Amino acid sequence: MDKKTYSVTAKELAAMGKDIPDELRSSRHLIYSSPATLAFNSPGAQGFGVKRAGLAVPGSVMLLVSPGCCGRNTTLLTERKEYDGRFFFLLLDETDIVTGRHLKKIPQAVREAAEACEVPPTCVMICITCVDALLGTDMERVCRKSSEEAGLPVLPCYMYALTREGRVPPMAAVRKTVYELLKKRKRKSSSVNLLGSFTPYEDDSELYEILRGLGVRNIREISRCRTFGEYEAMAEANFNLVLNPESRLAADDLMKRLGIPSIELTRLYQTDKIHRQYVLLGEALGAAIDDARWREEAEEEIAGFREAHPDAAFAVGEWLNADPFELSCALLRYGFRVPEIFGTVTDANLVWIRKIAELSPGTRIYTNLSPTMINYDCAGSEKVISIGRDAGYYHPEGVNVPWNDERQPFGFRGLKHLFERLGEAGKEGAL
Amino acid sequence: MKGLLRYLSPFAPDQSGASGVLYGLGGLIVICDAGGCTGNICGFDEPRWFTEKSAVMSAGLRDMDAILGRDDMLVRKLKDAAERLGSPFAALIGTPVPAVIGTDFRALRKMAEKRCGIPVLGVACNGTALYDEGESEAYLELMKRFAADRGEGPVRGRTGVIGATPLNMSAASPAEVLADTLSAGIFGGESGSDGRPVLLCYGAAGGLEAVREAASAEKNLVISPSGLRAAEYLKERFGTPYEARYPLPEGFLREELSSLCGKRVLVSHQQYLANEIRELLSGYGCEDVTAATFFMTDRQRYRPGDVRLTEEKELAELILGGGFDAVVGDVYLRRAARKYEGRWIHVPHFAVSGECSGIGEDSHE
Repeated sequence: MDKKTYSVTAKELAAMGKDIPDELRSSRHLIYSSPATLAFNSPGAQGFGVKRAGLAVPGSVMLLVSPGCCGRNTTLLTERKEYDGRFFFLLLDETDIVTGRHLKKIPQAVREAAEACEVPPTCVMICITCVDALLGTDMERVCRKSSEEAGLPVLPCYMYALTREGRVPPMAAVRKTVYELLKKRKRKSSSVNLLGSFTPYEDDSELYEILRGLGVRNIREISRCRTFGEYEAMAEANFNLVLNPESRLAADDLMKRLGIPSIELTRLYQTDKIHRQYVLLGEALGAAIDDARWREEAEEEIAGFREAHPDAAFAVGEWLNADPFELSCALLRYGFRVPEIFGTVTDANLVWIRKIAELSPGTRIYTNLSPTMINYDCAGSEKVISIGRDAGYYHPEGVNVPWNDERQPFGFRGLKHLFERLGEAGKEGAL
Repeated sequence: MKGLLRYLSPFAPDQSGASGVLYGLGGLIVICDAGGCTGNICGFDEPRWFTEKSAVMSAGLRDMDAILGRDDMLVRKLKDAAERLGSPFAALIGTPVPAVIGTDFRALRKMAEKRCGIPVLGVACNGTALYDEGESEAYLELMKRFAADRGEGPVRGRTGVIGATPLNMSAASPAEVLADTLSAGIFGGESGSDGRPVLLCYGAAGGLEAVREAASAEKNLVISPSGLRAAEYLKERFGTPYEARYPLPEGFLREELSSLCGKRVLVSHQQYLANEIRELLSGYGCEDVTAATFFMTDRQRYRPGDVRLTEEKELAELILGGGFDAVVGDVYLRRAARKYEGRWIHVPHFAVSGECSGIGEDSHE
């Protein structure tokens, strides 16, 4: 009997190349229900799942068509004012899930849900789950029939946990869905959309200043649209800034349907990489971007923290607003130590893992998904500052900075704010 | 229309009930899902998840696993995890995914048991039933597999408890709550040195050993209809008699309930708790009481006029059209009848609202 927790050092993992060991592949083992797993593995359990995301369109309501179990945790959401009266459920019984007879009931349910709203909804999102994934339901057709019955737009939201690692994962699909009501308009050079998040980016993010400096007057995000009219105006964008790779599908669709091109930026925490990205953005837009001020601010904050806590060591989790491996790489490059990372290893982050292996070969990499994580005991680890809610779960006694606010950090200001939080946490708890 | 919820969210499903029964037993619990059902269980329906570790794992099924029916792969993963964790037993709990593809849980359980070399329980939930159905199935499986006749007969005064789960009792430590309640002498029975009763609280305390000791109980206390099938099984197998009732602490809502003397009252909860509140109300001179429940009903403890609810609309019509002066039940249900202007005395039901606390008068509209 082996009661150890599985982990691998950065050096070992880098040496394996693309031969990622089975223990780090979620398809090869049972999945442990750690806090991070719930956020990662269950498209709806924590944070912005499909259900919340589908309601990003102003004035929309959602009809969840599923067995009762799929809508259970929505109880939490319905207690929030912004979602009160926006969720409806058509519960399936045992016969429905085998025969698919519920499909005939959906148009009537959509109409009744719309009629039950005090203010007529702008659209109805029909959220379907694993049952319909397996039944092979043609949801586009069901939505068309429902739209005819209810007299308003009806769109599908696929909460298919079964396809999480597929070509179109649920969160990528819903990111596309929420822009499907946009209709072609004349593009305006002074308008840009930020795609990626269902909550706004931090108000003081340099992104806004940079875009305004380039002559953009209307920077639109779906989460800041208060009315359906504001949402519709997103169709006039000159280009889309894709700030989360899960929005690529949406950006491609907007290019295809509305002719809006896109530029992708990545959320990074290494100052030179952030700068490089802005240089490339400037080149793409034909104007130089001067980011020196924000870079200096961020570097000063880092230097201040380093001065106060020169021996700081971090455990970095994945339930946070960062790629845990890129963030770890940044922390190492700023002169800190990172003894532990809790993250999901994919081909995409191997580039950071190789860099970590150079800087800190002994850094141990754990996966939140491994059943052996139930045995994890921080008693054998050194004293660390944990970043991410999941890392805080594994290090309950130490200082934790969750860094997973709904307001999204980005760029130099995001980095600066992270170190501000770390500094505040350092004052509250002895580091 | 049938099945449409306009104001309420779905109640705790069968897989949450099954998991809740097995959660504290130290086994490896595998939810046969893609991830979402496990998320619902751990992130919402299991309050102990925040304070007490348990090996609740998702099978992590993907579309091709379901389409191709890769049971052998699931069993391989189960074996690997059980060996790594040293699990004394495992449980396979169903969800809509195996229900749609017609998984044979009996065969799956047998195959897993053969390969893993440990006892494996199978609870064929499908996500469309309510939590008590899952609890009922899990309790019965548990007793069938682990309750052992050691030939020593019952221990005088020893009480077994079936149904003590957070979903039934709206408490993260149901065994503690029960011990506190029973120590007041309401139920009597075997006492420990601290004066608290020694209970075999199946699934809630004492781990698997308590279940193995089930034959030593002189009687069983069944606190929810979900425990009835297991109690009947134990009665038949070991001759253990049972009492079906929900013990309430002395003075439970005395002020609120006593003020309802002469009023027309609706009590909505799991049946045994609703019945117990009705008894208390009767003691305060309140005789016009209707019990209503969305959950399992025990026909023997069902009074004429009691209501078995299946739809949100039925609840709304009952509350608004029943002429009740007061409703006793989880205040979350008030959403279905927002126009109701009578009194509402809140008795939380975790399986309804996901809340454990806040008992008492609800003053909000």
